[in-house]
Amino acid sequence: MNEKTSGSDYILEMENVSVDFPVKGFTAFLKRQKISAVSDVSLRIEKGQTFGVVGESGCGKSTLANTMIGMVKPTAGRVTFKGKNLFELDRKSFKKTRRDMQMIFQDPFSSLNPRFNVHDIISEPLLIRGDATEEEMKARVEELLELVGLSKDDIDRHPSDFSGGQQQRIAIARSIILNPDFLVCDEPVSALDVSVHAQILNLLTEIQEKLGLTYVFISHNLAVVKNICDRMVVMYLGKVMEGGSAKAIFDNPRHPYTLALLTAVLDTDVDKEKEEIILEGDIPSPIDPPQGCRFWQRCPHAMEGCKNVPVPEVEIERDHYVACHHVNGFPDTDLPEGYDRPVKTEEAERKDKSHPLKTEESVESKTDA
Amino acid sequence: MNREQTNENMLAVRNLKVVFPMAHGVIRAVEGVDLDIKKGESVALVGESGCGKSVTSKSLMKLLDTPPALMRVDDITLDGESLKDYSEKKMQDIRGRHMSMIFQDAMTSLNPVMTCGRQIDEMYMRHQGMDKKEARKHTIRALELVGVPEPKSRARNFPHELSGGMRQRVLLAMAFACMPKLIIADEPTTALDVTIQAQVLDVLRDMQRTHGVSLLLITHDLSVVSNIAETVYVMYSGKIVEKAPMKELFRTPYHPYSEGLLKSVPKLSDEGKQFVQIPGSVPHPMKKPSGCYFHPRCPYATEECRQSMPPLEKRGEDRLVRCFHPLKHDAKEAKTA
Repeated sequence: MNEKTSGSDYILEMENVSVDFPVKGFTAFLKRQKISAVSDVSLRIEKGQTFGVVGESGCGKSTLANTMIGMVKPTAGRVTFKGKNLFELDRKSFKKTRRDMQMIFQDPFSSLNPRFNVHDIISEPLLIRGDATEEEMKARVEELLELVGLSKDDIDRHPSDFSGGQQQRIAIARSIILNPDFLVCDEPVSALDVSVHAQILNLLTEIQEKLGLTYVFISHNLAVVKNICDRMVVMYLGKVMEGGSAKAIFDNPRHPYTLALLTAVLDTDVDKEKEEIILEGDIPSPIDPPQGCRFWQRCPHAMEGCKNVPVPEVEIERDHYVACHHVNGFPDTDLPEGYDRPVKTEEAERKDKSHPLKTEESVESKTDA
Repeated sequence: MNREQTNENMLAVRNLKVVFPMAHGVIRAVEGVDLDIKKGESVALVGESGCGKSVTSKSLMKLLDTPPALMRVDDITLDGESLKDYSEKKMQDIRGRHMSMIFQDAMTSLNPVMTCGRQIDEMYMRHQGMDKKEARKHTIRALELVGVPEPKSRARNFPHELSGGMRQRVLLAMAFACMPKLIIADEPTTALDVTIQAQVLDVLRDMQRTHGVSLLLITHDLSVVSNIAETVYVMYSGKIVEKAPMKELFRTPYHPYSEGLLKSVPKLSDEGKQFVQIPGSVPHPMKKPSGCYFHPRCPYATEECRQSMPPLEKRGEDRLVRCFHPLKHDAKEAKTA
């Protein structure tokens, strides 16, 4: 995103980050193939805020998260945490910086060692840091257990004695024991019962208020993201489709993919008329993705040229960016060589008329941009 | 809702009990459940993990391992036929042909070393005595029905070559292969993304409606239910706590647990940072509380609730509720306001 601000408010900045993974296999005589997991993503995360990353499985959410905390090295671009470029640090200072960033994973059961008891699980980060005595560790663990809503008496029990929600509470306690500033929550509630979702989400917001943490919240459910995120990006196949302030996006969703995600959220309101946009097909393979819009194969409004013309992110209103030819119109310049200016096909024209996103405003903002 | 729906019961279960005797005590997983599913009706069984939903569904198919499980039932009838005393051998003819099941995780319920097509072929060969060639023809048709693109080549794929949504469709095709009378779907979309979940539910609903198959959908997510079910049973800690037509339950839940489940679904229309939650968690099946099992988590609990278990009572037409203090609709509105 292109906003200009002083760097000091931002805890994490990513500039044009791309992550490619080479494909192993029989490619000796063929072109070397690669999976483009994250492609040209720039974002800034403000201190104390919650930043949402939304998309389907395979869209690069988790790779993005891993890059943020330095577990995956980007093929291009910079990741700056508190003003330091993560991938230029030496081993020692990286380790030190890494303490300030922690992660909560999706499935609490598989992320907790089944043979450790609660005390050992939660205190392990302290043990590794190596500057706390037994008593200090125990006191700290008890304090955290209470913070996450468990009891002191649970300290000797094992993960299998707890329900999924309680296990996730243990995982949260472990992640905050080193007093981090930055917490990446990778689908923290997806593996849990719906009735427990609210408990964990409320706990996370409570902890954020108490400790002043910055969250990156990864989810595929927009209803969850809506209520806790300040800013967010919607990703598809490694690219940002729509980004900016969460309020702007939910008040005025523009990208066809965001809209499809929004209508896919099921509701319990049986009296409300719902319009459903069911996307066809699955997320395509990220091996050699198209140069243009990566969503064109499943997009109900795809036009000719969407496949080939690169899509710029355009700010359509304050802090709301959309990367879609349909919303922004094709750029006049920057067409790759050999491409004529694309024309809307008849079918696209017809679909266009029924397009709920295409309003008078968007035509205006297109000309402004 | 369905043309073929009549008042006759496709499945009727009376007083189903399942216990697991353990070294430290007895786990009473299911405690006297009655279920009725009409012909062509779709019924949902809703509850949190650990409340006995899956044990119920497995015991209907007689898929529980006995031992360790012990199952007692007054009667199970499928289309007028009592399954209670059927032997394992006889059940094998029933499963797949008359009732079939869709499991949650498609990856673990498909055989990884057989092609998807082969696994569906088996259904036709085993139950309808077709030869390989004929079975494959039917398989391709079945895959087409559930919306698998290029069914011919997909049938030659192994499960790992397909995406999660496609695998779930293969399971749907398999379940619908012999057009059974009843399909039990145990959390069919929990492992899927929201967009794929919408696709799969769509297919499931269409197939169920067009072919007039009865459906028992098991889920913990009430928002899934709103798309597909006509009648909902809410289960808590091994007992049915409420039964109601879907729309009525969603508009006016009587049991506090149903209300909690409904409110805890995150909605796009929600404002503010707080989510509505049900405090606590499902009691351990070996340490169930006295009286009403829900009372430790219930905001309306009284002394009476702590003392004795409320009976499952009729309240209005087609509705049952197990609560001493069922919610009143106007009172509920006053509370939320």
